[in-house]
Amino acid sequence: MTQTAERHDRSNRLSVTRAGGQLVADYWDNLFAAREAGKQIVWYNGGALNPIFQAAGLAWCHGEAFAARLAAQRLEGPAQLAGAEYGYNAELCSYSRTHLGCSVLTLQGASLQSGEGEHTGVVGVADQRELASRLPSPDFFVNNYAGCSTGQQWDGISYRVFGKQLPIFNISHPFLWGNKPDAGYLTGEEWEEASGFVEGQLRELIAWLETQTGRPFDWDALSQSMDYIKRAAELRREGLDLCKAKPAPATFWDWIACVAPINFLPGDQALVDYFAGVRDEIKQRLDAGVPGVQGERYRLYFDGIMNWNKLGFLSRKFAEHGAAVLAGRYIHNAFWQEPHLIDVENPLRGMAQHYLLCPTNHGSRTLDYLTLRDCREYDVDGIVFHSTRTCRAFTGPQRLLARSALNTLGIPAIFFEGDVADASFYKEEILESRLVAMLEQIDMRRQRGEHTGALGALGPARS
Amino acid sequence: MTTALEKLSAVARDPRGYVEDWRMRHPGRLVLGVLPMNFPRELALAAGTLPVVVQDDQKPVTEGRSLLAEFYCGYTRNLADQAATGRFDLYDAVLMADHCIQLIGAADVVRAILPGTPVFFGMLNSSMNDSWGPARVVAMMGEFRTELERLTGEPVTGKALSDAIAVHNRDRRMVRRLFDDRAAGSAVLSPVQLQDIVTSAMIMDPAEHAGLLAEALAGASAARGGATAAPPDHRVRVHLSGHLCHAPRRELLEVIEASGAVVVDDDLYHGRRHVSTDVEEDGDPLEAVARWYQQRNVNIPCPTRVQQDADWDSWLLDAVRRSGAEAVIHLLPKFCEPHMLYYPELRKALEAAGIPQLQIETEHEGIPLESFRTRIEALVERAHRTRAVPA
Repeated sequence: MTQTAERHDRSNRLSVTRAGGQLVADYWDNLFAAREAGKQIVWYNGGALNPIFQAAGLAWCHGEAFAARLAAQRLEGPAQLAGAEYGYNAELCSYSRTHLGCSVLTLQGASLQSGEGEHTGVVGVADQRELASRLPSPDFFVNNYAGCSTGQQWDGISYRVFGKQLPIFNISHPFLWGNKPDAGYLTGEEWEEASGFVEGQLRELIAWLETQTGRPFDWDALSQSMDYIKRAAELRREGLDLCKAKPAPATFWDWIACVAPINFLPGDQALVDYFAGVRDEIKQRLDAGVPGVQGERYRLYFDGIMNWNKLGFLSRKFAEHGAAVLAGRYIHNAFWQEPHLIDVENPLRGMAQHYLLCPTNHGSRTLDYLTLRDCREYDVDGIVFHSTRTCRAFTGPQRLLARSALNTLGIPAIFFEGDVADASFYKEEILESRLVAMLEQIDMRRQRGEHTGALGALGPARS
Repeated sequence: MTTALEKLSAVARDPRGYVEDWRMRHPGRLVLGVLPMNFPRELALAAGTLPVVVQDDQKPVTEGRSLLAEFYCGYTRNLADQAATGRFDLYDAVLMADHCIQLIGAADVVRAILPGTPVFFGMLNSSMNDSWGPARVVAMMGEFRTELERLTGEPVTGKALSDAIAVHNRDRRMVRRLFDDRAAGSAVLSPVQLQDIVTSAMIMDPAEHAGLLAEALAGASAARGGATAAPPDHRVRVHLSGHLCHAPRRELLEVIEASGAVVVDDDLYHGRRHVSTDVEEDGDPLEAVARWYQQRNVNIPCPTRVQQDADWDSWLLDAVRRSGAEAVIHLLPKFCEPHMLYYPELRKALEAAGIPQLQIETEHEGIPLESFRTRIEALVERAHRTRAVPA
């Protein structure tokens, strides 16, 4: 670690993402003040339901996002400690463990504040300073988790931690396993059936929200919000496509910094402006020949959820080796990644389809298709798998994907262990030694005059 | 001469032996690997196949290590290993109804490395309060039936399904009676014997299982000279809770009873949970199988389901009161996320009720039995101290 800090920083992150950081900070500030502003508050997990909540006039808190935020700011400790004291095992999904710890702290905070505490819902008064946040307690829960069974159970337990007093709505998502012969990415009988099923549940959710809020749902507001989100998503895809250039003008780490805006910020002009800014800065860099990594020598794919408390560190670490991490399942196959599916006049089906397209909701056949496709398109030399210790959903198919990439494209892969929101699982020496070994392997092949990128791979690996 | 009970134990410990024998006796018929915990065996039996709940065969994970991460639960890593080392050759196809993400991971491995083995995943709606849930479950049961018809090339008739339901119910009732007797204080079978009986029920043709079980019980009764009650047992009465999907190691069960405790009840999958619920025998049999799925989460709530009006914690308290258990041992397979999530709710409820409890985290490879023994003995001591002092 110290070695990395002492070496020259060759990463060149986009400057525009700082503006995104401000948008996100403003969002959280608004959420923390939502109770005082007279808003009802919904806690939710899984797919991005925020356009529906926005149209319903609610304030929304995405559980994983809050856990990720705490981890990114290195403020996850008090919540995880509260969760551990409550009985949650350290091997449990650290998103859920952190968020459930927040629930425990919220309740402790409420009980400390006699009388009005329940309504102000301040996260553990005693821990407020460390958390640097004030998460308001929910009025109700909505679960929208595809792929990972733990996600659904997590909100079921949040409901219990809050004493089974708050309403909860669940959306069930069929796992896109692919039983039928015509099953494929965005195609086949199963895909259409699942899309219709989830769309129907979204209609039920909206009716349920009308009951919770006592107001008719604003369908025009939903269309408007989805219009902004669709435009932002299209700009995001444009920017991603521009990063196929050599050298790449921006990297996976820049796109990680853009996750929060696309995942839960309100659909509005500010969101569109932000992603226009991202696309424009990338384009300017392309025109000026400015790379995302100084002296790009290697192009890599990253598979795994982000290790949120290591974003800056990892971006510098890979850059110092001349490794540009360009693409990844968490970026390219998540977060409104198929904007053409969204019909802004009738947005529910496209929204349902995006919830189903959660990158943990596919069988390995589809993931194999997506991973190899992206490796080819970005002409990567190797894959780095973040073996995310407490996320079984993301790690499940990784070994199969590594085998397939080697056998089909001839590109190597390494695994390193870390976690989404628990820094204790990160193993620096393992990543360093394996990364160096893989890059040396790529160098050796180049010295032998072999092609190392995925783009030119025509068949099985050469032995 | 091998007793009926020994035959059941032999099947539990060597599923392959039973399956190979069954194949010889039923040439041309399919053997299906069924993944826990909610696939309705009745449907597969009605299709003329032998549905076998794939067991953790307790062999060390070797090849499987390169297919699933080490922080997957031991059962799913064992499944991957069974597939990678050829032990899945026992099955002509694999069927799965549950969407535990770790189980999906294991099934995906099976599908990827055994492309010639069909792996069908029909996801049963696991949010049990969804108003659309029951209709979805009926529809999925229909899809299972269609898949079975495709696999066998024969229709699954309503009559065949009704017959399969009846024979399964008969077997379940016989096994459940053993658990009820044990909770009522007349247990004559050890936890290992009971576990073997349940495990063999997951593997065998239910008619054969019921026949052997009836024979075993008659034999046990004769050995006791017709006495129906077990002799008084002054050990601490404990309830075993948890251990979903696969069976706890037999040696752990033996250590529990060798440490001054006697197991009086459980909610283990390889225990009462598996036999908790019968399928209704009147009405449409497919709909009855769907209702069975819903009802068993009411009869013994499972942390893999989400149901706001079915509480595992309050069920556990009631079970403890019914059996007179003086302590609860939570058996938590390492990395089992549903159990990890629900455990604090169980702990809170038992603590509030003043019931001593102990959590034991089990691992696939290597269990520290002596360490467990010390902790169980401490629990037993604690339970002894909380016993009412005789007047």
